[in-house]
Amino acid sequence: MSADITVTAETPRAPTLGRPIVRPQEPAVVAQTSPKVVIKDVRFYYKGYEALKGINLALQDKRVTAFIGPSGCGKSTLLRVLNRIYELYPGQRATGEVLVDGRNILDSGQDLNLLRAKIGMVFQKPTPFPMSIYDNIAFGIRLYERLSPSELDERVEHALRRAALWDEVKDKLRQSGLSLSGGQQQRLCIARAVAVKPEILLLDEPASALDPISTQRVEELIAELKSDYCIAIVTHNMQQAARSSDFTAFMYLGELVEFGDTEAIFTHPREKRTEDYITGRFG
Amino acid sequence: MASTLTVAPRRRVDRQHLQDALFRGATRFFAIGVLVLLGGIVVSLAAGAAPAFRAFGLGFLGSDAWNPVKDNFGALPAIYGTLATSLIAMLIGIPLAVGIAVFLTELCPPPLRRPIGTLIELLAAIPSIIYGIWGLFVLAPFLQLTVQPFLIDTLGEVPILGALFGGPPLGLGILTAGIILGIMVLPFIAAVTRDVFLTVPPMLRESAYGVGATTSEVISHIVLPYTRTGVIGGVMLGLGRALGETMAVTFVIGNAHHIRVSLLAPGTTISATLANEFSEAVGRLYTSSLFALGAILFVITFIVLAVAKLMLLRLEKQGAR
Amino acid sequence: MGVAGLYNRRRAINGVYLTLSVTATALGLLVLFLILWTLTANGLAALSTRLFTEMTPPPGASGGLANAIYGSVVMTAVATLVGTPIGVLTGTYLAEFGAGSRIAPVVRFVNDILLSAPSIIIGLFVYELLVVPMGNFSAWAGAAALAIIVIPVVVRTTEDMLRLVPGSLREAAIALGTPQWKVIVMVIYRAAVQGMLTGVMLAVARIAGETAPLLFTALNNQFWSVNMNAPMANLPVVIFQFALSPYADWQTLAWGGALLITVTILLLNILARFLASWSNRTP
Repeated sequence: MSADITVTAETPRAPTLGRPIVRPQEPAVVAQTSPKVVIKDVRFYYKGYEALKGINLALQDKRVTAFIGPSGCGKSTLLRVLNRIYELYPGQRATGEVLVDGRNILDSGQDLNLLRAKIGMVFQKPTPFPMSIYDNIAFGIRLYERLSPSELDERVEHALRRAALWDEVKDKLRQSGLSLSGGQQQRLCIARAVAVKPEILLLDEPASALDPISTQRVEELIAELKSDYCIAIVTHNMQQAARSSDFTAFMYLGELVEFGDTEAIFTHPREKRTEDYITGRFG
Repeated sequence: MASTLTVAPRRRVDRQHLQDALFRGATRFFAIGVLVLLGGIVVSLAAGAAPAFRAFGLGFLGSDAWNPVKDNFGALPAIYGTLATSLIAMLIGIPLAVGIAVFLTELCPPPLRRPIGTLIELLAAIPSIIYGIWGLFVLAPFLQLTVQPFLIDTLGEVPILGALFGGPPLGLGILTAGIILGIMVLPFIAAVTRDVFLTVPPMLRESAYGVGATTSEVISHIVLPYTRTGVIGGVMLGLGRALGETMAVTFVIGNAHHIRVSLLAPGTTISATLANEFSEAVGRLYTSSLFALGAILFVITFIVLAVAKLMLLRLEKQGAR
Repeated sequence: MGVAGLYNRRRAINGVYLTLSVTATALGLLVLFLILWTLTANGLAALSTRLFTEMTPPPGASGGLANAIYGSVVMTAVATLVGTPIGVLTGTYLAEFGAGSRIAPVVRFVNDILLSAPSIIIGLFVYELLVVPMGNFSAWAGAAALAIIVIPVVVRTTEDMLRLVPGSLREAAIALGTPQWKVIVMVIYRAAVQGMLTGVMLAVARIAGETAPLLFTALNNQFWSVNMNAPMANLPVVIFQFALSPYADWQTLAWGGALLITVTILLLNILARFLASWSNRTP
């Protein structure tokens, strides 16, 4: 299902970004019908400290947006605003708007459980539930859907296939999820996230705790998943960002420094800080 | 594509929120229940003790009478016994416990640390009544035949101090009860002290050894000062237990409602009195006097335990200083 | 004294301290050994099937401890069944909901006081609460007193075990849209179950030997009784009564009962420790 892509030289219909980084004569951000997620002037406070200083950008559906930047720049924080998982912790709050399909999810009327059911998240450290592999996947599905056993089996198999894990675990579905290797556990977590048919997938450095082979498999996975979800991925690995994402956002000290086409960012970045980071002058 | 973020099953979500609230409420309810429990204990002790205090006033605390027939009661022998046995328990238990903690953290070969530590902790698991019968049938006769005559012949001859060791060697008595209590509390104090010793940053210990300090110097000049608060907290925890111990003491204390100077004489403690006499007490004043004893014990242990807890909390707050 | 003299003195002091330390440990272990030896030597004689099949005899006759064993088992079981859920829920409150709460620190403090409070005071309290209104001693009262001793132990271990569950697991469950109570019951409890079970076992080991709280609640019963509303025989009180008596048969039974209790408690403790260290193993 390919999207309508029209690359024009017009000013994009995306909302105004914090810094004027899209100049009229440059190729604009790919314009589709409308972005899936619009982040408007989001600020994040952690015990009084301002960790995100007014972020503005848009995430397109069926595309991968990578967030890069040095440690502590706020990229994971931004991801965690999108599913409001920070609300588990007293003393953390966010202001601004995050519009998903036009509706502000930071609004106090937004039901958190529903929000999180529609936005999947995969964490840096693999976190399989202390249950069987089957139940790990079925757990999320059972929360919101009533399925017959055979339908559930199908969904579980489908999710495991999408995560490229099915062949490895199909004979041991009843074994504990904890008995898998690190790379397999992370793919299990990805399967678990996609099993509930989310609309948006948030991946917070999903491969950083894995060995190189598992990392590669996870990357391949992300490339495949792109066709169905709006994906936002935080990564330290710039090669990964360059390879697998469509758009890249470079963040530094809580600010969005530059955002645009991945190729543009990596081949001719407009901001000096971006260039310095990409070329490794600071990390 | 319309967002399904709001169109999803509303009823299910509402039910989830209700379930969450119920669960949270249930946990809160029982948590408050713990507070209510303490309150209930306080109230019931106060109510039960009130008649005795009304009849005897505060003189109850200083009187050594104990006459069920004439309905005249006093708490002094029991309080004295409780404090004396606990003091002896501390004098015996603390050095032994610290010695064990030192052994476990500095001297013991690493593979033996867990087994020996577990064995010491098993001492704490043995119930009070087992210590009681062991004390009665093994320790008391042993003390009667060997240690007590020895004490009487040696320390008993010392002027002034000798009075502490006067009288016939009965085997039972304040000293024996103190010794049993000491053995009972030493695993608690040892466990807390060991845990607290382990919080000393290895760097600190290593640098002390590095300048040539001996083990005993490292312990006394580095480890103990660093962990002082925690060790005192552990000691007070042990004291709290010693004050309230019932069965072990009941078996070996001799159950005599009087105060004698000699540690070898029988006596009584609050808990031993309660254990022996409560189920047969008739008469409102008798029962109430026993409740009053219980109330006094509760106040004493509460204060000791509260102080212990506060000290241990302070140690936690210090964290890795 | 010269440098050498000072050094020798320090070494001597060190030697004394270390010897004392080893002696202390040896003494502790010696006492443990002596107690177990005494129990075995005296109690083995009483161990036979009769111990488990015959009732406590009148003075001067021989018999068994069947009614006492039954009473202890029943009251311990009831106390554990009642006290454990209360303890688990309270511990859950402290670990999961206590973060911003003002009563949580107070509850924790009070709980620790109750943990070490003299058990005879608990007996007095239950006497006033249940025995007096009911007009008679009863097994219910005994079980209640034991339950009050179980609760603080379970609260403490539950809270400690729940806190050990990594926050990432909690977040992973929440990120799926799981309602909070399900996160706790279906994921967190499952992750902490071994530790919580350890706590229950330690609580059972604790109450199995408690005498004082039963003295004025369940009292004792010479005969076989399954009536929870009446006094019920139990091992600790029987041991108390028989050991202090002048009858040889009774004393032998007392030793037998003492051996039974001690072996049970030590086994429970060792098992609990084993379970705890197994559940804390790094995967």
